[in-house]
Amino acid sequence: MSAIQLGVEGVTKRFGGLTAVNDVSFALGQGDILSLIGPNGAGKTTLFNLLTGQLAATAGKVFFDGADITHYRPNQRARLGLGRTFQISQTLTSLSVLENAMIGAFLHHPRIADAADKAYAALERVGLASRAKEEAGHLTLGERRRLEVARALGLEPRLLLLDEVMAGLNQTEVARIVDLVLALNASGQTIIVIEHNLKVVRTFSKRVLVLDRGKMIADGGADSVLQDPVVVEAYVGKKKQ
Amino acid sequence: MSNLDLAQSGALGDSRLAGRRGAAEVWTVANELPTFFAVVAAIGLAVYLLSNQFFYLNLLTMALLFGGLAVSWNIIGGFGGQFSIAHSVFFAIGAYTAGNLYKHFGVSPWIAILPAMLLSAAVAAIVSWPVFRLRGPFFAIATMALTEVAIAFAMHWKAVTGGASGLTIPYRAGLENMIFQQRWAYAALFLGYLAVTLLTSIVILRSRLGYYLQAVRDNDKAAEASGIPIMWTKLKGMAISAALTGIGGVFFMMYVRIVEPAGLLSLFDVGVKIPLIALIGGISTIYGPLLGALILVPLDHWLRAFMGSAVPGGNLIVLGLILVLGSLFMKKGVAGALRQVYRAWSRQQ
Amino acid sequence: MDQFFNVVALGMLLGGTYALVSVGLNLIFGVIRIVNFSQGEFLMLGMYGAYLGYSTMGLDPYAGAFIVVPALTLLGMVVYWLVMRPLQNEPMMQVFASFGLLLLIQNVVLAITGGVGMSMNTPFSQVTLTIAGVQFSATRLIILLAALVAAGGLGLFLAKTNFGQAIRAVAQDRMAAQLMGINVERTFMWSFGIGTGLAGLAGVLLTPIYTLSPQIGGNFVMAAFAVVVLGGLGSVLGALVGGFIVGLTEAFAGYYIDPELKHAVIFIVFIAVLLIKPSGLFGQAGAEEVGLREQS
Repeated sequence: MSAIQLGVEGVTKRFGGLTAVNDVSFALGQGDILSLIGPNGAGKTTLFNLLTGQLAATAGKVFFDGADITHYRPNQRARLGLGRTFQISQTLTSLSVLENAMIGAFLHHPRIADAADKAYAALERVGLASRAKEEAGHLTLGERRRLEVARALGLEPRLLLLDEVMAGLNQTEVARIVDLVLALNASGQTIIVIEHNLKVVRTFSKRVLVLDRGKMIADGGADSVLQDPVVVEAYVGKKKQ
Repeated sequence: MSNLDLAQSGALGDSRLAGRRGAAEVWTVANELPTFFAVVAAIGLAVYLLSNQFFYLNLLTMALLFGGLAVSWNIIGGFGGQFSIAHSVFFAIGAYTAGNLYKHFGVSPWIAILPAMLLSAAVAAIVSWPVFRLRGPFFAIATMALTEVAIAFAMHWKAVTGGASGLTIPYRAGLENMIFQQRWAYAALFLGYLAVTLLTSIVILRSRLGYYLQAVRDNDKAAEASGIPIMWTKLKGMAISAALTGIGGVFFMMYVRIVEPAGLLSLFDVGVKIPLIALIGGISTIYGPLLGALILVPLDHWLRAFMGSAVPGGNLIVLGLILVLGSLFMKKGVAGALRQVYRAWSRQQ
Repeated sequence: MDQFFNVVALGMLLGGTYALVSVGLNLIFGVIRIVNFSQGEFLMLGMYGAYLGYSTMGLDPYAGAFIVVPALTLLGMVVYWLVMRPLQNEPMMQVFASFGLLLLIQNVVLAITGGVGMSMNTPFSQVTLTIAGVQFSATRLIILLAALVAAGGLGLFLAKTNFGQAIRAVAQDRMAAQLMGINVERTFMWSFGIGTGLAGLAGVLLTPIYTLSPQIGGNFVMAAFAVVVLGGLGSVLGALVGGFIVGLTEAFAGYYIDPELKHAVIFIVFIAVLLIKPSGLFGQAGAEEVGLREQS
């Protein structure tokens, strides 16, 4: 069993009367790859936001490499090695493709030439190197998703969180990103993906975590979880009596 | 590249594969220097050619001053996206620091540059820290409020500012006093100021701070997720911008030798004019604000003369119109428009 | 002690003025999330409009309101459609453009009137009421009443009418409102118009009190922004309460500290609110951080 990298203990997020994430706990080891699934509105992105710091938890703790990061701001967490992509690609449209990737690379490489090199390498990993000098605003949706991954890679992350990175893409683009994710994991990157495409989930994960209405209702191997009646019910709804 | 190749590249970002490829694709300070020297030389030539035409020389001098102020503003306003109308305050701080140190303590304005910079930067940091968490428009309002407060304090604090009657510096020519007999020397002085601001702007734009400012401007959520400390980045940009503006104030004080709060802190003559110049010229470019000054300062002057007393406020009507139309149709300013023309032309080649 | 009540009275009356001026700004700010720097100019136009009615037709300003306010509402709608709407996704350009409008409107009036100060006297101008030994000027009382009526009316309008509810829906979530079939653009246009119309109303009611000058808008804009921040974005009650707080603060600062420093005091109040509770007293939490970029 590899070293525990991410520890989530009883994390809860309440917005007024609504409990978006309810007492979620799990642990992730170095090099693991985890799929986070659940019906729409289950709280998956909210959970991501709690892990990377865009939201502050109402209760519970988050540990990374043993350090309690529960109250850390997003940039502090990025420094420690948490990288993420967003559901709606946050491309910096006034900059070029390479410059977008450099924004991530600058974190550990303050000199412009070094950051550019690292960013270029990240672009090569995601297959966008040939577009380096183009305006980022000209990229297609799939390319923006990959660019965002490149930016996150520039951070030299120890844990990468990908939020629905395949949503809205065609089959070729999906296959491309699947390959990328598998390659990253094969090279030792710990990854959590939020995914709706259950076929893809099966490809990736040995481990699947299911959220429904904020609560964790299953955590285990892909095959058993996806056949778990509780999980099926959450997706499909209660069977008629 | 197949999965196997990617997997074999080992740990993230193996730079042996990438070599120095990335560095070749970005501009550094060195790339910008030729243009910089060309621009400064060209203006130097203009100063030389106009050295006996006092009317045009004065126009050029003021254009260079506002060019420098606009370039300074652009660091936080254009690159950083923080629309500050309060830069007149830093301008005033520079002027009053130099003026008082010279008049009451006989300190050379050249030496006063340092405290002027530090004071402006400090005030900027202290005042913007609480309001930086606000998105654009709120920030603009807050800076407007700051200007109002500054005017009130300036009027009140007569010991330092001379109140409404102003602060006057006696004429005593000499390099150490930054007071010159020859008018062209002032033009050269402001050219020097412009050069300093341009160089600073270049160094920042082609550095991590420049990229971080732009990232924060464009999308602070993505910026923060990429490890950028938002508040710290904005504060740094603001402090540098304010310090440079303060230097402009020092030079201005020694040029006109009499200043009063309403003029220095005027919202329309300084506070809004500086961002306007940057906008018209091209808000996120290095030379855009200079271009804007070279266009607007003579234009404003001409409008005042032309409309004069026949149409009071006529020059401001035109400026207001330019502002509205500019924000609607020319967001990238003249520099941006020129760049588009250049791109279209080079694509045809 | 006597003076204390007078100061309070002055503060309340000033507060009423600020509240009236701010109610419109708050609507624009809260719904469309635009900072309308030219709001003060619509107030000024209201004053001059009333004066125009008075000098050409002998219309009492209170009567003239019935023409001036709709005219300024219309003008606001036109301005929104032509200038603000195209700049919806460019917050910085909006700031520039509204400043441009400020310069434009102010100086066109300056050019037309030649900078001559004008004032009007109405039957109410000199009337003062004395209640419990404290003096109230009738014209200011009318403004206070108007502020309460306007705020109340607006509140009811927003809560009870279909259109009002549409406005609130759009203010909360643009996307969702659009999906529900609400025409967001037109809602914005009307909101802007109502906002400028209210500013015009404030202007009309202020004519018996202040000397007209093209720059008068600037006097109120700063305080109006402070009121909006203090009261909270998009809250009508907030505009009212905020107005009174700012009015009282200004009255007390002016009397007990120094009239020259009252702007400084307003700024300090402004900053204090931002530090302690940035969403203001009644605003939605985090509203000030949503600004213009995100609506999700």
